[in-house]
Amino acid sequence: MIVVATKIPFYIALLCVLSLLQVFGLSHLTLFDVSADAISIFIAFIAVTIGQKTGMSFGFGAGIVTGMLSGNMGLSMLARTVEGFIAGFFNIPENSHATSKQKTKRMYWAVMTATFFANAVFAAGYNPLGLSPLYRIVVLGLLESLLTLILAFIANWLLMRKTFSD
Amino acid sequence: MWKFFNAFNQHIAWLLFALYCAISFLFIKLENEDTLSKVRTGGIELSAFVTDKLLSYSYLLNLKQENDRLMQVNTNLLARVVNLETAVTDEMNSRKIVADTTLNASNFIMARVVSRRFSDRENMLLIDAGWKKGVKKDMTVLTPQGLVGRVTTVSENYARVMPVIHTDFKVCVVSAKSGSIGVLSWNGGREFVAQMEQVPISSSLKPYEEIVTSDFSTFSARGIPVGRVVRITPDKLFYTVDVRLAVDFSSLSQVLVAPLKTEPEKAIMTSDTATEKPLP
Repeated sequence: MIVVATKIPFYIALLCVLSLLQVFGLSHLTLFDVSADAISIFIAFIAVTIGQKTGMSFGFGAGIVTGMLSGNMGLSMLARTVEGFIAGFFNIPENSHATSKQKTKRMYWAVMTATFFANAVFAAGYNPLGLSPLYRIVVLGLLESLLTLILAFIANWLLMRKTFSD
Repeated sequence: MWKFFNAFNQHIAWLLFALYCAISFLFIKLENEDTLSKVRTGGIELSAFVTDKLLSYSYLLNLKQENDRLMQVNTNLLARVVNLETAVTDEMNSRKIVADTTLNASNFIMARVVSRRFSDRENMLLIDAGWKKGVKKDMTVLTPQGLVGRVTTVSENYARVMPVIHTDFKVCVVSAKSGSIGVLSWNGGREFVAQMEQVPISSSLKPYEEIVTSDFSTFSARGIPVGRVVRITPDKLFYTVDVRLAVDFSSLSQVLVAPLKTEPEKAIMTSDTATEKPLP
């Protein structure tokens, strides 16, 4: 618990950096008007490794930062909170005996599910391109989840392997 | 008491979720309130500043291309000036231009597009001119090619523009040749085609006619080119008209901000509070 507490300031700083990276970098790299979401991976990572409450709080905070920069503060906060909440259901307890492969798999499911639901919340509240709700939620939601999953593969390969070791 | 704390502890995640959701909904509800609006404006200012700095590097690298493009714009403008001068000789047109006090080119504000987001989550332009340069909410944004959009939020040095290709955008338009009036909006899909609605089936609108903004618009001055009719589909009472937009949003870099259309008397007359008392 103490180890986790000492890491929180680092995670907050990382969240701010990732929010800026997302708003100014990744959001411009789109495929069918959809981009991968680095913040979703981070929120899922927090929720899976630390817990649902922390994941939600980080999601809420990420929503404030990205919302301030993009203009949709309330909706951003709501979508990110939902993201943390959903990802929290995939939490791996500290005393888990799961293998590295199982933990990583859980993390990927958390990323995909949380991204999909956050996208659905965003789609329900804001539809600037006037797309059909079904297409916006199902097709673009799945596409965004997939793109984010690819980014999660890369992030896991580069940064998270140690966290999910046996 | 112990049971209560136990239950509280068990459901704390749900309670926290409900609390965060409640705060988020409150923020959504109060989005247009003064304090939140200021926070949003600050965020836009920061966002635009960072994007501007990031863009300035690529801007420097592409100066030659930019010069060529500006030369092309100058050529187009020159052609327009010549056309306008010819039009001025026409008595009717000259009367129109003289009577139109809403459009004064000397008051136009030049701005650069520093950010453009076109995605399923965001659709807007950020320009590097804010209230310091005289930009105000609801001002018309255009290029020599045509209408770009409408200013929605203004900060000190930047402004956010809702483009024509936004589902919430609507503008009254008129066909330059046949005089058919309609409302232009964008229903999604291709970013270079918008829809003109409420055109009566009795109108004599033809394909390839130029569409310009109408005097009925509450924010835009009349006569700003919008696009050209590409398809007319008859319905029961109205035509549904596809308009190919004059502005290429994919390569937009410089824009002009037209001064605010001030017609207080017209606004009073069209509002519900209009009375029959003579205006001062």
